[in-house]
Amino acid sequence: MKTVPLNTDQAPPISVPLRFFAVAPLFLILAALVLLSDSDNPFADPHMPALLAATHCITLGFMATVMVGAMQQILPVVIGSPMPASRLTARFVFLSLISGALLLPAGFALGQPLLLNFAWPLLLLAFLGFIVASLLSLARSPAHNATRTAILLSLLALGAAVVPGILLAYGYATGTLSPDAGRLAAAHVALMLGGWVLLLIVGVSYQVVPMFQLTPSYPKWLTVALAPALFAALLLNVLLLLFQPDAAWLSVVAQSLFWMLCGCFAVATLVLQGRRRRRVADATLSFFRLGMAALLCAALLAIALPLLPVVDHLETLLAILFLLGFAMSVMHGMLYKIVPFLVWFHLFRGGVKSGVPNMKEIIPEPWMWRHLWLHRATLLAALCAPWWGAAARLTALGFLLQGLLLAYALFAAISVYRRTLARLEQTQPNPIA
Amino acid sequence: MSTIAEFMRADHHFCDEAFALAEQAALDNNWEEAEIRFNHFREDMARHFRMEESELFPTLIAGNGPAGPVQVMRMEHAQMNALIEQMSGAVKHRDAQEYGGVAETLLIVMQQHNLKEEQMLYPMADHFLTAQRETLLGRMRQV
Repeated sequence: MKTVPLNTDQAPPISVPLRFFAVAPLFLILAALVLLSDSDNPFADPHMPALLAATHCITLGFMATVMVGAMQQILPVVIGSPMPASRLTARFVFLSLISGALLLPAGFALGQPLLLNFAWPLLLLAFLGFIVASLLSLARSPAHNATRTAILLSLLALGAAVVPGILLAYGYATGTLSPDAGRLAAAHVALMLGGWVLLLIVGVSYQVVPMFQLTPSYPKWLTVALAPALFAALLLNVLLLLFQPDAAWLSVVAQSLFWMLCGCFAVATLVLQGRRRRRVADATLSFFRLGMAALLCAALLAIALPLLPVVDHLETLLAILFLLGFAMSVMHGMLYKIVPFLVWFHLFRGGVKSGVPNMKEIIPEPWMWRHLWLHRATLLAALCAPWWGAAARLTALGFLLQGLLLAYALFAAISVYRRTLARLEQTQPNPIA
Repeated sequence: MSTIAEFMRADHHFCDEAFALAEQAALDNNWEEAEIRFNHFREDMARHFRMEESELFPTLIAGNGPAGPVQVMRMEHAQMNALIEQMSGAVKHRDAQEYGGVAETLLIVMQQHNLKEEQMLYPMADHFLTAQRETLLGRMRQV
């Protein structure tokens, strides 16, 4: 019988995930500054360098950083298999990812090919290192569950998404963008968002949705079938994008299939959360529900798109719903649960101690609720931004305030950790094993 | 006849229910109710730990089950007991803030612990203790 060794020491040192989480909010601030630096409305044209730069601050600087940091914690705890050489891997991936995530948007915003030429090799190294380390960890994992499958597929999608991303950055840098750049960009976005981001959230939700709110588990058939079905639908879409057969109806069917599966996931999660046994108010739950509602709206909009009259910016709206509405909401919610727990866990581990602050003393709850309202307002502004310049400014302001608030919350958590650790070391000999 | 995994999973759910009711009452500042609900929760948890520590774990180890995971489970029980004691202090002082913070912490510790037991330890126990399962479950019901 295969079992996962029950060893809490498999969790990496707290510095491994926290360094990623601590830096991520700075990229929200950078995204805001990039958007504010543009005198036009960057949302009015998806190809504007400022929007491209701000989008990568959010997707690469904020989201990928949070996800890569979270994976270093998730793999040992959920899959029972730590990343190989966890400290070294974390340092290597962190340095290359952060420098690449700073240089790429800078290259777009400033129109500097040199910066892009520095950015893409760094990002290639970061993702290659991360994917190889994660796959090794998965290969060594004794667990065989639906979360492992979803994470594996998410990593495969990331690997596939990096290729067109690098080709595009190289093309931009050298001025050799091929006429197929639009298709490559579409494939890059589809694989990154529909694969890497979505499948990781799906796999992690299987574990954390029942755990945080005492909901029933996702039905077994759904956990077994959903991630592979999403991955297959995504691959079909990407192949159709790249090879563009004459039958346009095939693309419509493939897209509808993918978005219907997204809708199923959102509905299943909302239904389970509606049946939760824990009824107290919880900011993480509200972030999660906002995320699922946004995913459902994105799915409905995407399925209706072929039937709707041609209206400008509907695809931008779809991207905003998915990125800010779904992915960013879920990530904020997860951060507000994971970071206080990690701080508590690392202070408390190795024995029973007194004087360790509880989770709500590590990041006070009112900040989380303020952040939720700020995030809702930012999302609302962003949904109006393609048509209304002032809303674009409000969106940028929202990112700025969210970045500041999240950075403050995370640095407060780190300072509670340091202070308590110092006190424990003074009062109790050898408190941390 | 239920398996050890089925029987203990149902008991986890029973404890979860008690946890949720006590937390709700405490956060509503309904302290009379909270005290009753919390005491139920504490008793349910204590009984669950006794079933494991005085019956399941010793039988599993005697039946050549792995000692390492059992040791980790015992350590986590001690952690949870420490948090439950903190919650008891919060109930005494009518401190909803403190109760909410510790309950939030306990919930994650408890759910991670339950997951490990349900996915690994109990199936292991069912595997190693097939022959004695019925009598063991009988003894656990008596705790």
